[in-house]
Amino acid sequence: MHAATHNSPPLAHRNWQLAPGLVFSGLILLLTGGGLLALFLRADSDLAALWQSAYLQGVIRFTVWQATLSVLGSLLIAIPVARALVRHPSFPGRSGLLRLMEMSLVMPSIVAVSGLVAVYGRNGWLAELLQWAGAELPWNLYGLTGILLAHIFFNAPLAARIMVQTLERVPANQRRVASQLGLGSWQLWRVLDWPALRPVLPGLAALVFSLCFTSFAIVVTLGGGPGATTIEVAIYQALRFEFDFNRAALLACVQLLICGGLWWLVFRQNRHQAMLPDQSLSVGAHARRPDSTGWRRSADQALIGLFALFLALPVLAIAWRGIPWLAGELVDSELALWGATLRSLAIALPAGMLAVVLTLALLAATNALKPGLPRSLASVSGYLPLIVPPIVLGTGLFLLIQPRLGIQDYGLAVVALINSLMALPFTLQVLRGPFQANSGSTLRIADQLDIRGWYRWRWLQWPRLKRPVTLALGYGTTLSLGDFGVIALFGSPAQPTLPMLLHQQLGSYQIAPATGTACWLLGLITAIFVLLSRLGRTPGTSGVNHA
Amino acid sequence: MMNVRQMLRTAPILLGLLAVHQAYAEPVLTVYTHPSFAAEWGPGPAIKEAFEERCNCQLRFTVLDSGGAILQRLRLEGAGTSADLVLGLDTSTMETARATGLLAQHELSLPELSLPVDWQDPVFVPYDWGYFAFVYDTEQIDNPPESLEALVNAPDDLKIIIQDPRTSTPGLGLLLWMKHVFGDQADERWQQLQGKILTTTQSWSDGYFSLFMNGEAPMILSYSTSPAYHMAVDKTDRYQAAPFEEGHYLQVEVAAVVNSSDQKALARAFLDFMLTPNFQRHIPLKNVMYPAIDLGDELPDVFDRLIEPSRALMFPPEALRDHRQDWVNEWLDAMTR
Amino acid sequence: MLEINDLLFRYPAQAAGSKGWRFNLNVQEGECVALSGPSGCGKSTLLNLIAGFLTPSGGAIRWQGQSLSALPPWRRPVTTVFQEQNLFDHLTVAENMGLGLHPGLRLSQQQWSRIDTMLDAVSLGDFGKRRADNLSGGQRQRVAVARALLRPQPILLLDEPMTGLDDDNRHTLQALLLRARDQGKTLVLVSHDVRDREVLANREVTDFYHPW
Repeated sequence: MHAATHNSPPLAHRNWQLAPGLVFSGLILLLTGGGLLALFLRADSDLAALWQSAYLQGVIRFTVWQATLSVLGSLLIAIPVARALVRHPSFPGRSGLLRLMEMSLVMPSIVAVSGLVAVYGRNGWLAELLQWAGAELPWNLYGLTGILLAHIFFNAPLAARIMVQTLERVPANQRRVASQLGLGSWQLWRVLDWPALRPVLPGLAALVFSLCFTSFAIVVTLGGGPGATTIEVAIYQALRFEFDFNRAALLACVQLLICGGLWWLVFRQNRHQAMLPDQSLSVGAHARRPDSTGWRRSADQALIGLFALFLALPVLAIAWRGIPWLAGELVDSELALWGATLRSLAIALPAGMLAVVLTLALLAATNALKPGLPRSLASVSGYLPLIVPPIVLGTGLFLLIQPRLGIQDYGLAVVALINSLMALPFTLQVLRGPFQANSGSTLRIADQLDIRGWYRWRWLQWPRLKRPVTLALGYGTTLSLGDFGVIALFGSPAQPTLPMLLHQQLGSYQIAPATGTACWLLGLITAIFVLLSRLGRTPGTSGVNHA
Repeated sequence: MMNVRQMLRTAPILLGLLAVHQAYAEPVLTVYTHPSFAAEWGPGPAIKEAFEERCNCQLRFTVLDSGGAILQRLRLEGAGTSADLVLGLDTSTMETARATGLLAQHELSLPELSLPVDWQDPVFVPYDWGYFAFVYDTEQIDNPPESLEALVNAPDDLKIIIQDPRTSTPGLGLLLWMKHVFGDQADERWQQLQGKILTTTQSWSDGYFSLFMNGEAPMILSYSTSPAYHMAVDKTDRYQAAPFEEGHYLQVEVAAVVNSSDQKALARAFLDFMLTPNFQRHIPLKNVMYPAIDLGDELPDVFDRLIEPSRALMFPPEALRDHRQDWVNEWLDAMTR
Repeated sequence: MLEINDLLFRYPAQAAGSKGWRFNLNVQEGECVALSGPSGCGKSTLLNLIAGFLTPSGGAIRWQGQSLSALPPWRRPVTTVFQEQNLFDHLTVAENMGLGLHPGLRLSQQQWSRIDTMLDAVSLGDFGKRRADNLSGGQRQRVAVARALLRPQPILLLDEPMTGLDDDNRHTLQALLLRARDQGKTLVLVSHDVRDREVLANREVTDFYHPW
């Protein structure tokens, strides 16, 4: 028999791929299920009556309605913006704009709302501008308008970013052929862009829908009144003020059914390809398109310009108000901001790393599994944290582990754990595509050459994952950095994290410092994103030195 | 490398050391409270220092995000709670908290209190109080409404920001205020008010910071004491509270000893300390509420310039326990109809 | 000898009544056999079965009298060169070659110089440090064949390795493969181009497949 020239690669056994992911996915399912069950077991209210109440039905109707409109709005804006960005593959500030689009998602909502109001509110910049021109603000921000505006602010950039990436995957030759044929904009859409976008749209729509469906602070602040109540708000109310665990659990189940059902559909059709940008395809030469000249060119530039303004203005508004205070106070080394920053990072960095590790394990397991129930469960478990509100997860977890464990000592670790779970849906999206980037014959060759286990990770996967991992780390870290809900739930010693500091300042009339903290938080998030994307872009040598 | 058996052998020694350490360590008094009390700018830090000076103990704050969260945590933990004392419940959560049976009587003879109502409660000790009021921007409004009735009947171009009674203490305060003044007609009055409500925020901070300070509306539901902070610290008279003829709804913030605590004596010493000037002098400008005892000259001057409501309105806590849910539902009905 | 005896295979996802094959083939050591037949007759399928990429429903594959059926792809005495996607795009040419010698690239100095020599032999001496995706199609196939020749595995499975190449590249590869055959490697070739078959193959087999 032909003798192998080397031993089996380290960690090559199939279980090394399967076990960690399966264990994690089982734990996530257990935590979520256990959390819900723990709430149900504290039953003391009449679920049937609740189910039939007009209030609940109204809440469900409104939640679905606003989420649907937000999805439509976000996608309808994202499509033309993405096409315009693809038509113009190089202009100054393009990569900055793309980074901004990736970031919008992780902006803490209280900061974003404050920025949006400063620009689009009744006394905002826009209103002032219009007043100066002798016109009036054509809308009332509070109500469905405000909710949609905020949801579009959060989600349209994300959607557009994903679409840009998808459209850039259309092979250059197809574009060349299209340009030779002299296809117009509409025909290009039909022949090239639509077929490319169609596979990602269901997953994208489900992602945006879930994000808007579970939206909380935005809906309450900009919604105008109790008519604008989402299920998430009702859950919060039930848990925090009515102490009605049962109702909270029931509402969480409704949310789980609607959003979970949607994801199930998406997964069944296998339409969940890489949806978050992997940052690897954003620049490059493309064929000149006949629809990027003349008046179309100007129209595209105007569209991109408007979109950039739409994104940047609220951020600028926050900086505008926060920087003066920061500039005055930042030299003070006793500043509460420093401690809070360190504490925030101490939670956020481990949370981000844990999120990445969990994601890789889940992906490895789903890759190793054949299609079937275990694989579907492993896939879906990563999306559960998007659907099950953190407050339910947190309270359930609390009920499960609290008895005598002395939550105080575990508090921050639990916060980091829940934060990392919350980031999973996003890190999964970032890493799924690159994780599966080796395909077809290449994989067969890898098998034949015995590049398995550790060696496959080291040589075939890690080099391709380096960049996306930094982005995933960025998402995981910054989502945790901006989190207020979970950390507030678990309580803390008197030293606050950044979002807690912000809330404490707000609660103590410290308006100027609060604007400073908000600005600082935003700056920190930006810095982490920029830093990590730099890190990911360092030219990769694969690390072999040979003469 | 230590093997398992060695480790097992050393464990009792370590445990013993730990026990000795605990016996000689200062006792720790764990207080569940909310952020505005424990924050750097709140009264918490100064009070901690003042109390630790005399108690030969350590005061430890566990910060939960609101009064509701304190109660919630207490219920979840039951008798296993690590809290010795809760500080930051108020008159609207009091009865629910009492019903848990987790709180002990204070057993103190309270000194003379300076509250607008008579206070006789065996469990809860008040530490500050305030009136809910609408705060307005004098640069945008010259003549604010002079009563709740006038506010309800004002033209719809007067915009106000309120908070959601389901998620916020002042929000619930307004609900009770309306109920107290208008009784059975409250839901009609809410409908009349609706056109003037720019938005209903989840929390007081969201409304105050994101909207009111951005100039989104000239009036916001807050406390009658809010202007004191702006006058004393921000040095501006721009924001003032509008006095309403019907009187203002009262909120009293309270503390209580936890029954399962093994530091009850210390907790009671804290409650005792709570009603001395050493604690109370930090309340007016750091918690921006009225102190629970007469501070005499120590009360900052700006407090003399606050509105003085003709009547303090308050439902008995039991009424709240029995009807709160119905009233909130009524409100929901009126607002979504 | 490489023996294929009544090897049965059917693609699972296909509808009932779809095609299945029964394969029979014998190849002597050091021989080059070209499989020919109409498209869809199972040429590539047979190569994938020999390599262990597909699992047969029955029958036997033997090399020097010992069954290969139970062995995973990485334990079989074969090296495959596909028509494309043989290389790992994100790695350098030298790394791609080195992975053929050790899956973790733990190579001795001597092995690295063997790689350099082999690259010289395919006229790619200066390309060691280039990323694979910077190469032309012909260059990529030259690297793939060079890697296959570096490996000690005695059997080469060639699945349209020269399709789409220009004459220069085709001749270089033909010469390389001929040399490999002369040095004792056993070759199984699938190529639709009669020139490849004429140059390389000792014999052409057409009756290796039967419907099943």
